[in-house]
Amino acid sequence: MTKIEEIIEAFQAADYQETLAMLLDYSENLPKLPEKYIEARDAGLNRVPECETPVFVWIDLNDGLVQIHADVPEESPTVRGFVGILVDSFNGTTPEEVQSAPQNLVHSLGLDQKLGTRRMFGLSAVYNRIKSGVKEAGGRQQ
Amino acid sequence: MAEYVHPEVLVSAQWVADHINDPNIRIVESDEDILLYEVGHIENALKVDWQTDLQDQLVRDYIDKEKFEQLLSDKGISNDSTVVFYGDKSNWWACYALWVFKLFGHENCLIMNGGRQKWIEEQRPLTKDVPDFPKTDYKVSGTNEAIRAFRDDVVAHIGSDNPLIDVRSPKEYSGELLHMEAYPQEGALRGGHIPGADNVPWATAANEDGTFKSADELRSIYMEGKGLKEGDDIIAYCRIGERSSHTWFVLTYLLGFDDVKNYDGSWTEWGNLVRAPIEK
Repeated sequence: MTKIEEIIEAFQAADYQETLAMLLDYSENLPKLPEKYIEARDAGLNRVPECETPVFVWIDLNDGLVQIHADVPEESPTVRGFVGILVDSFNGTTPEEVQSAPQNLVHSLGLDQKLGTRRMFGLSAVYNRIKSGVKEAGGRQQ
Repeated sequence: MAEYVHPEVLVSAQWVADHINDPNIRIVESDEDILLYEVGHIENALKVDWQTDLQDQLVRDYIDKEKFEQLLSDKGISNDSTVVFYGDKSNWWACYALWVFKLFGHENCLIMNGGRQKWIEEQRPLTKDVPDFPKTDYKVSGTNEAIRAFRDDVVAHIGSDNPLIDVRSPKEYSGELLHMEAYPQEGALRGGHIPGADNVPWATAANEDGTFKSADELRSIYMEGKGLKEGDDIIAYCRIGERSSHTWFVLTYLLGFDDVKNYDGSWTEWGNLVRAPIEK
């Protein structure tokens, strides 16, 4: 089972309060953006434009394995938590594993039903950006 | 300098800090981000979520009277509680929750001016502890639909002398965008505004620190600027009725208009209605 599949299983088994608690945990544990990206972030580079929340993402391959660095403000814990899930599941995996993750991850995690559909568009946008970013990074390596 | 017409509906962060343990007061946090309350909130504050708590999960409507009674009873809010709302984004969602409480006729509703942002800027403490108040037996005695407009009310409004206020961003009003810039563009098939509507973006009424602008500034924006006058029957709308509840609050309580309605169907209804007239 891949990491993302394990996380999906945990979220599917969770009730509303547990879902919030897990998301909060991911939000609080999102790694800090490395120093070397701060200047670029402050200049507005690498922002996911479709998401209302300012989300910044850098995707690289390190020895063929995915490295995602992301920055999400603390005032947006839902988005932070979701990005935390992506970073936790995908960092250190192969680009193929990222591509094989469910198309509609927000739905697979049950976030749309539990948290309400109106909040979910931004999350899907971030997910799609990361997936396509990993694909591009894979292409650059070959 | 003019005063707000109903200054008693606004309280300061200090006032809330002084009433945290007042049994007649219930503090309610309502945010756009469903997790912010869990990150930390004012001691003894309850969470009310605009979408999962206040909206019906099947039909596009608010919860019914029985569910509202259940919600408030479970939270430990009684009919004579004074409820103080606060939240993120200049109290935009706090105003929305307050408006829904008013729909169900809750008497005493206040807003903590400046909301969550100001509380944090004043370096006041937050907690993760969720209060557990004794359950109550909340009863809705009557709903107050006079503050809610449905699409037929809007149709009747068009062409009358009564003002329609579109509180969306200028680009949504002009039809260039279907949602605020940087938000996902979804929800309506047509862009533009309801014929005759004037554009006053909701945030025009808020200061940088999340507080409301002064009575003089508000009068100059809405009355001198847009010609609203005493006795007007006003309908405000946005995309789903959330931003316009902020304007509804400003017009009703801070400027004292007697007849202001929030059209919660807003652009996601109007911009999808077959043959509904639209202006660009």
